[in-house]
Amino acid sequence: MAAAIELKNVTKTYRLGDEVLNALDEVNCTINSGEFVAITGPSGSGKSTLANIIGGLDKPTSGSVAIDGTDLSHVRDRQLSDYRNKHIGFVFQSFNLQGTQTALENVMLPLVFSRMKPKARKARAQECLEAVGLGDRLKHKPSQLSGGQRQRVAIARALAVQPGIILADEPTGNLDSARGEEIMKLLKDLNKQGITLIIITHDMSIARQAGRVIQIKDGKLVRG
Amino acid sequence: MRPGDYVAIAFRNIRRQKLRSALTVFAVVIGATSVTIMLAAVFSLKGFMTKQFEANGTFQQVAVSPQTDITWDDHNNGSGNCQTCVHLTDDLATKIGALQHVVGVARQTQVGQFQALQYGTQKLRTQQIVAYDANGVIKDTLLAGRDIQAGDGDGVLTISSDYADKLGFKHNYSALVGKQVQLIAQGWYSGVGVDAIQQFKAQMAWSSTHPGEDGRDYQPAPVTLSGKIVGITDATDQGYVIRVPLGWARGMQESQMVQVTQADQDAAQAKCRNQHTPGNCNSQPVPSQVVVTDELAKQGYSSFIVKTDEASNAAGVAKTIRNTYKVGAADAQTQIKQQLGIFNILGAVLGGIGGIALVVAAVGVVNTMIMSILERTREIGVMRAVGARRGTVSALFTFEAALLGFFGGVIGLLIGYGAVLIANPIINKQLSGNNISGSNIITLPIWLILGVVALTTGIGILAGLYPARRAAHLDPVEALHYE
Repeated sequence: MAAAIELKNVTKTYRLGDEVLNALDEVNCTINSGEFVAITGPSGSGKSTLANIIGGLDKPTSGSVAIDGTDLSHVRDRQLSDYRNKHIGFVFQSFNLQGTQTALENVMLPLVFSRMKPKARKARAQECLEAVGLGDRLKHKPSQLSGGQRQRVAIARALAVQPGIILADEPTGNLDSARGEEIMKLLKDLNKQGITLIIITHDMSIARQAGRVIQIKDGKLVRG
Repeated sequence: MRPGDYVAIAFRNIRRQKLRSALTVFAVVIGATSVTIMLAAVFSLKGFMTKQFEANGTFQQVAVSPQTDITWDDHNNGSGNCQTCVHLTDDLATKIGALQHVVGVARQTQVGQFQALQYGTQKLRTQQIVAYDANGVIKDTLLAGRDIQAGDGDGVLTISSDYADKLGFKHNYSALVGKQVQLIAQGWYSGVGVDAIQQFKAQMAWSSTHPGEDGRDYQPAPVTLSGKIVGITDATDQGYVIRVPLGWARGMQESQMVQVTQADQDAAQAKCRNQHTPGNCNSQPVPSQVVVTDELAKQGYSSFIVKTDEASNAAGVAKTIRNTYKVGAADAQTQIKQQLGIFNILGAVLGGIGGIALVVAAVGVVNTMIMSILERTREIGVMRAVGARRGTVSALFTFEAALLGFFGGVIGLLIGYGAVLIANPIINKQLSGNNISGSNIITLPIWLILGVVALTTGIGILAGLYPARRAAHLDPVEALHYE
């Protein structure tokens, strides 16, 4: 399998006053295309930082990040934004939907930034919502949806641009276990369709479902 | 992002905070309204006045006077006697007429030898009888009949509408055209129409019947000159004016002196001899000769109005005349520009007040946008996560601020337009009450409309720059976790 994500000697340093904190310390890791990887570790271990760097929301202090052979560690905001838009679908613990907009409008948001025509945008968003089982909730606002449904909308939004990678940060963290199971099933189905799935979690029951677990502690990989 | 999306998103966000957006726009509206009304009023009035001057060619004119300290406004007030001044002679008029950029010279004089204008039994006191070359340099506004023309001889005149009104022809000026009137001269008048020898004889006869009295107490029968009204001129900015042809005015100002010739003395002596009372003959010689002096040529004209080819040359011609002939010369432009300069100051002051309102409005826009960004931090994080570039976020917020400014400008203009619609009829009433032609003089020129909208939109953009930059540089990771 081709390497979708390749991290070499990635270090991320934060300065808190005089203290220098290494959130990531010389991390090397490769995630292949189509893999299902769980990144686990205690809070403050650096797993979120790792996810943010893979997702193009953050840049490493040193080292290189290559996605499909393209180095992201030195590109400008414009390329990084386009990368997020085209290749990454984010799913957040707290859904991060826009409360004033309908499910359909929320799903269309990434397509707005990829300059898709309004009609095509609507069709694609509808398709994605149908794929997550919300074909009958297009005009509902987040406040009119249950937690599980909201996360489905978020997943539909992540799917909208047909990304190669879905990056889910504690996707079941705000859901009860039954809803969590449903969401995990949905994500695993997407992975089976060929999307690289990276889940950040401290829930071992979820991590166990992954094909591979990358464990991180104090900014270093302990398993991966 | 497509252009339509910017519009859609900005509109949605403005709508989302209706009250706050409305209040912010309201501040812009106040500024835009005041700027609109103030600038429209000031520039319309300035333009109106300038047009009034341009319409009668005033800007192309230079007033020349014997007094060197003349200003443009003085040229109608006559010259008075000035012994040490350079006289405005025909020769000087010819010389000035030959100067570069000069297309015409109108010699002007005022006749003060008359006391009344008589029509039928009505007598109106005369204030001014003016005369100037009928060469088109000085234009009169005719209300009826025709103006004085170059070929007109004695006995032709125009009167201003104030006289016509007093004579009872207020709404019927044309009925007065062609009517004969009399100009009644002052007692000491000795110009055209006087038979000096007859007058002398009459005075002698009076003296012989009033022995011991001073000859200066003699009151000759008032001389009247007859004239035909050919036109009624607009009295708006001149008042009571009678205009006569320059040639007639020259005659009116002539002085006649009777002269006793040798033949007259011989005749008187012969008369004595015939009376056979030598040594006791008191027969005075009767003059038979009259010496006529052209006082106008001698004293000079009260002023010249010089017409130049271009308004822009008037100041230069005035300077040349001043320096070359040591007479006073003033162009209207220099003075009117100074007078109109007050409008520029007024415009700047009033516009400044509106400007301050707009600055306050801009602060309001900044505040609104910063509040909006704080509230939407998470949303900005999501937008960034799903692929919005920094530039896109920045453009989005800048556009939103620009839209607030744009709306403020448009609403302000509409209110300003409403104010103009209300103000114009009131001003029209004032103008017609004062006999000034012109209606709906306050206009909203296209540059003002575009300018105000551009200004408020620009202020919106400026006010939006900082908040937009702040939004664009939010760390997406932090923004996504902002509570």
